[in-house]
Amino acid sequence: MMTDRNTTIAIGIVLVLVLVLATAFVIPGQHGGEEKERIVVVYTSVDQVYSEPVFRAFENESGIRVLPAYDVEATKTTGLVNRLIAEKTRPQADVFWSGEFSQTIVLKNENVLAPYRSLSASDIPARFRDAEDTWTGFGGRARIFIVNTDLLSPDRYPDSVYDLLDEQYPGPSIGIAYPIFGTTATHAAALYSYLGKERAHDLFAAASKRNIRVVDGNSVVRDLVADGQMAFGLTDTDDACGAVESGKNVTIIIPDQKEDQMGTLVIPNTVALIRGAPHPAEAKIFMDYLLDRKRESALVDSGWIQIPVRDIPPSPCVNVTGIKTIPLPYEDTFNALQPAQKDLTEIFIR
Amino acid sequence: MDMPEVFRSIHTGHAPETILRLVATGLFFFLLLLPLAGLSCDLIQAILNGSSDIMVPLLLTPRRLGLLGASIGLASAVAGAGIIIGILFMSALTTTRRNLLYGILLLLLALAGIPPYIHALTWSEAFHSAAAVFPGVPSTGWLISFWVELMALLPLSLFLSWIAFASVDTRLTDAGRIVRSDLQVLFSITLPLAAPALGAAFGFVFLICCTDYSVPSLFGADVYALDIFAQFSASNSPSQAFLYALPLLLVTLIVMIACRRGIRTLAQTPDWLPVRHGTPPYYPGWFLALQRGAAAMVIVQIGVLFTGLILAIQGPEALITSILMAQNELMFSLFTALLVIVISVPLAYAAAGELSRPGIRGAAAWTITLIPLAVPAPLIGIGMITAGNLPVLSAVYPGLIMPALVSVVRFAPFAAIVLFIQKRFIDPALFDAAAVFTRNRADTLTRISLPLYAPGLVVSAGILAALTLAELGATLIVSPPGHATITMRIYNYLHYGSSSDVAGLCMMVTVLTLAVSTGTILAIWALSRHFTTGTGKSGT
Repeated sequence: MMTDRNTTIAIGIVLVLVLVLATAFVIPGQHGGEEKERIVVVYTSVDQVYSEPVFRAFENESGIRVLPAYDVEATKTTGLVNRLIAEKTRPQADVFWSGEFSQTIVLKNENVLAPYRSLSASDIPARFRDAEDTWTGFGGRARIFIVNTDLLSPDRYPDSVYDLLDEQYPGPSIGIAYPIFGTTATHAAALYSYLGKERAHDLFAAASKRNIRVVDGNSVVRDLVADGQMAFGLTDTDDACGAVESGKNVTIIIPDQKEDQMGTLVIPNTVALIRGAPHPAEAKIFMDYLLDRKRESALVDSGWIQIPVRDIPPSPCVNVTGIKTIPLPYEDTFNALQPAQKDLTEIFIR
Repeated sequence: MDMPEVFRSIHTGHAPETILRLVATGLFFFLLLLPLAGLSCDLIQAILNGSSDIMVPLLLTPRRLGLLGASIGLASAVAGAGIIIGILFMSALTTTRRNLLYGILLLLLALAGIPPYIHALTWSEAFHSAAAVFPGVPSTGWLISFWVELMALLPLSLFLSWIAFASVDTRLTDAGRIVRSDLQVLFSITLPLAAPALGAAFGFVFLICCTDYSVPSLFGADVYALDIFAQFSASNSPSQAFLYALPLLLVTLIVMIACRRGIRTLAQTPDWLPVRHGTPPYYPGWFLALQRGAAAMVIVQIGVLFTGLILAIQGPEALITSILMAQNELMFSLFTALLVIVISVPLAYAAAGELSRPGIRGAAAWTITLIPLAVPAPLIGIGMITAGNLPVLSAVYPGLIMPALVSVVRFAPFAAIVLFIQKRFIDPALFDAAAVFTRNRADTLTRISLPLYAPGLVVSAGILAALTLAELGATLIVSPPGHATITMRIYNYLHYGSSSDVAGLCMMVTVLTLAVSTGTILAIWALSRHFTTGTGKSGT
């Protein structure tokens, strides 16, 4: 009978829907088969293309499965760090692996991190480790200029962040990412700390007044310079090296390297154990693996880092021998971060 | 003491579907309020802790007022232009064959599933190429931002304009054509009748544009949404960011409530895809030129997008590799989209009834429905985690259902409003007749209610799938470790600079959305044919 068939079909549809819902509820997010399988949950802001091979290699070597959660540049540093803070009372992650240090210090101050001194990090200089061992730094990236070699001849290459104000370059031909987010914010904070608030404010205000192009992220700076839409821009070494290695007509200039100049910012990766981590033993094994000297070398080879903190051959993409860095402890840069972000928001978002 | 309606229904022996409807309605509003409750908890905690900065966001400085004004201006211009193009384009399609119209609508829906940022990147490339030929073509600024945002939201604007046109009863326009010119019929009958739904379409596009910072920031235009993110990034305080979002929320509420007044006046009995008869409309030359201009803009948008993507794909091998690498993300995205539809549609169907209510109760329902639309996506995610940390909800977080739940919170309101519009279209006398002539409630549901609601359900499901596939901000916050969506993968490749992979994945999203939408429509069509066999066209 038609009505019975209709009812049967309706019940069938409802059952399918219930099954889909049940699947979502019954299959938990991360703990499936936990008794049989050892797992470690890693939250990382490192690009997936670089971090995923590390996870796969670790899995093959240790037999521990990595469940990663990745951040993306588009979320403006508001992704995983805020997730970790929100999860503080019921942590889901075991390890936080960041491509920089300031957000890790935010987590330390929010009491999200637990101390752990890895034996693998014994050869890492003390300045790259937190005094309380809540985080450890390794392999760094530097803030550099990417320059389009079709648009600028070598005699016109910029060599200082003050070249953002040089009249020989039209404002819109220069690019930076919004200095309120990501590594550009950290760089800006370092400048605020080193130069003092007034001089740093004047630098950025003048740059803004010149209508330099402020874009969505460091990768956009790279792309626009590589495409010839801008003459040069401030970005990270990993972004710029990607363009160099893919044969674009660009070159890398490390700013402020002369004797009377301040140097550039080198931003190490940081790794930290989460307080109350669900899988602490596995987390420590992973951190030992990541902090191993061989891993730092492998990350240089992969193109994620260019400036190792140990005595390891650096990336051939850019000559960083004797690189001069802004002489500041990381904590000082971090302390300047929030005031700098607030000031720069007033300057650049209007 | 008054008993809540759901308990009163049980107590007084109301029909099971009444209880089910009340439970579903309650669940709909509960889910929508969940992240807001989480954010409120955070806010209260911040106040109790004596956070000195917490009230700063409530002071609207001239800078913030300027940004808010710029956001409203941009969103109004984009939504207005989008709807005007939609009107011109859809008025040109009034006599199009039904199958072709299906194809166009599916394509629009599929394009709406591509993140706006990808549209923007292809346009950025196009401007750069144009500047090489025509020096002086601007590459940044408000005009460019307006154009690119318009192009990025054009598929959705056109799709929503079609819904508005479909809300017009063709018998009324056919009657008008006897005594007036086609142009007069369009301006004096069709547009006034479609105005409420066009207003809602304007509201939707305005809302999406107002909360997007990614496209304007790519072209150097600063908007209020970016300021919210800047404050969030600087403070790491969700409650403070929520307070910063309040002015935007207020504007959104005003716009949507204004649109709601119009929607509530709808009382027509149209067919979503009617078979058109008679001679094609005759329009004067100037209007035909405008229609052709609109069609050209649509073709240019599709052309620029696909040309950009195809040029970026470095051969079929690269395409296959990028697709194979993203298999898991693809499956997870489809699963999430399916889950969002499964959860949202029944709840929105139930909540649509609540939106029809007059007075304070209806106003409250509309307010709760609209608020999540204006809250920045990451705050929805953070609010859901805060709520998920409560012991009663600990089974939900972390879990595969969480990415679906955040999309439900963000997009189920759209489904509820579409179904509310659909409900306004249906003649209540049909339900009265069904109550008299059908033998049981299952019969009424399967042979009368579902076929009548089918178009609205399909449209809701399509919009939900497209928006869920493109969602990033909230999903990223709550995705279970080890699971990522295709959009997360796309943005990861974007940062890496792998335009070939990005293009490949975007093409795949488009093709898949087309396939899934076509499959859904075919399934609904087959089911409705089955249900109506032997009973004539029970749905109409």
